[in-house]
Amino acid sequence: MQLFVNIVVLASIYALIACGYVLIYRVSRVLNLAHGELMMLGAYAVLATASLFSGHPVMALVAAVVLSLVVGVLVYVFLMRKMTGEMVLAAILTTVALGILIRGIVVLVWSAQQQYPAQALGLPNPSLVLPGGGHISMWSAVLVGTNVFVYTALLGFLRFGRWGMRMRAAGQNPLLAAQRGINLHGVYALAWSLSTLTGALAGILMALDSGLTATMPVIGLKAFPAALVGGLDSLVGALVGALIVAAAEVLLIYYVDPLLSDVVPFLVLVAMLIVRPWGLFGTREELDRV
Amino acid sequence: MTGTLLQVEKIEVVYKRVITAVQGVTLAVPERQIVALLGTNGAGKTTTLRAISGFLGIDDARVTEGRIAFQGEAVENRPPHEIAGRGVVLVPEREKVFPNLTVAENLIAPVPRAASKAEQRRQEEIVFHFFPRLAELRARIGGLLSGGERQMLAIAAALMCRPQLLLIDELSLGLAPVVVGDLARRLIAIRDELGIAILLVEQSAATALEIADYAYVMENGRVVLDGDRARLKGHQDVQEFYLGQSGGTGGERRSYRDVKQYRRSRRWYG
Repeated sequence: MQLFVNIVVLASIYALIACGYVLIYRVSRVLNLAHGELMMLGAYAVLATASLFSGHPVMALVAAVVLSLVVGVLVYVFLMRKMTGEMVLAAILTTVALGILIRGIVVLVWSAQQQYPAQALGLPNPSLVLPGGGHISMWSAVLVGTNVFVYTALLGFLRFGRWGMRMRAAGQNPLLAAQRGINLHGVYALAWSLSTLTGALAGILMALDSGLTATMPVIGLKAFPAALVGGLDSLVGALVGALIVAAAEVLLIYYVDPLLSDVVPFLVLVAMLIVRPWGLFGTREELDRV
Repeated sequence: MTGTLLQVEKIEVVYKRVITAVQGVTLAVPERQIVALLGTNGAGKTTTLRAISGFLGIDDARVTEGRIAFQGEAVENRPPHEIAGRGVVLVPEREKVFPNLTVAENLIAPVPRAASKAEQRRQEEIVFHFFPRLAELRARIGGLLSGGERQMLAIAAALMCRPQLLLIDELSLGLAPVVVGDLARRLIAIRDELGIAILLVEQSAATALEIADYAYVMENGRVVLDGDRARLKGHQDVQEFYLGQSGGTGGERRSYRDVKQYRRSRRWYG
């Protein structure tokens, strides 16, 4: 039972991070390799807002989430927007540079020491006992719930929302979308803001659960295989991929060796790339008839 | 006398700051008229269309000289979604529908100009009136349509934006003559019933001169000939090069290249 709980929690973490990769890749074919860093920035933002709104933990959390949303838009407007029309590789390298920059800034401002945002906010983290006998920390439970909510909302939005439909359209054919009156910059900015928002949610909840150091981007990187295994342009794929990677990781840690933890996602990734490079649910190639 | 909807004046389009694709092109599209832009591959037809529709910025190209005025307002080098918002909508040559969206979604994905839900539904009805086939295909994925159905959907989706000027890049490319004839009749119906002007880029002069009121012929980035339908149809060069009829001088077959060089140097550039 505990094993099952661990898998679900880890899968939720990966899935919540992975959807950020998927959102951006889907609309602009850009891999956001700074996603882990942006996620970390959201978590550190809680430390800043905690001192700002001391005594109002909810306010502080909301402020941090809004802040990361703004960061996402700013990243697009000031950095990625310049990259539209350039090679995709240039855009990806830009995100790498952004990631390095954020990591540096975080260490400069908050030092490399472990921080505990939950304490700064004065929030407890009790362990809950589940019906089947498993234990789950409160923040992990919140994370799982958030993940369910985020995915339901995103899938509904992409399926039925007007802007969701425009995001899908822009992802398929940006030129045509622009000519049909869709504001591409609006769509891209939306994708970036949603992506950093969900990333920051993951970062914040993880930090509340188990503290925060500047090594958090590693987790972001480990979530990347989850997105790839599922197929980079599929949200459902990210969910399934996260589940597969998390299950493999938890089971191997339990039955083989805990030191495997950091390696497992990439082992799964390599296996996947050999068998089915476009991922479980990814688009193999565009449906096309000439 | 109807007014001029679109006026392109001596524009020059330069790709990547060095490659000049279009030089000194001047053309006008009057209201409620179908105007054709003819020419061979690489003549600059598509570039001209892109300059009008605002596609250039994405390809690192710019209108460096001249003026494009739509309803009297300058629109050169504006972003495409803004130009679409003003009522100039392009049906591109390739990749004209969203392949993973259904027909219905293809129709509602565009952003119509200040349209409410009800107006949009009415617009949809108008579109289905011109293309009843699309109503049957509502749930079909765009990527699974045939070439003719795609062209219909592309024109229909463009109509959803409630354009005043429809730009169509290659109506007939890759389509069977029967389909082209059918589409051409619908375009005339759209023009007559909705009062929309159409600028049609075509390689097939025969198709274009069937429906166009006026036509321009482009060669090497310049307009070399223009006139109304009757004049161009009767024009000897157009007959020879584009309609494939013999010049009638003695009846012997001449090499296409000889003819072209002779004509070009003597009459079109003169």
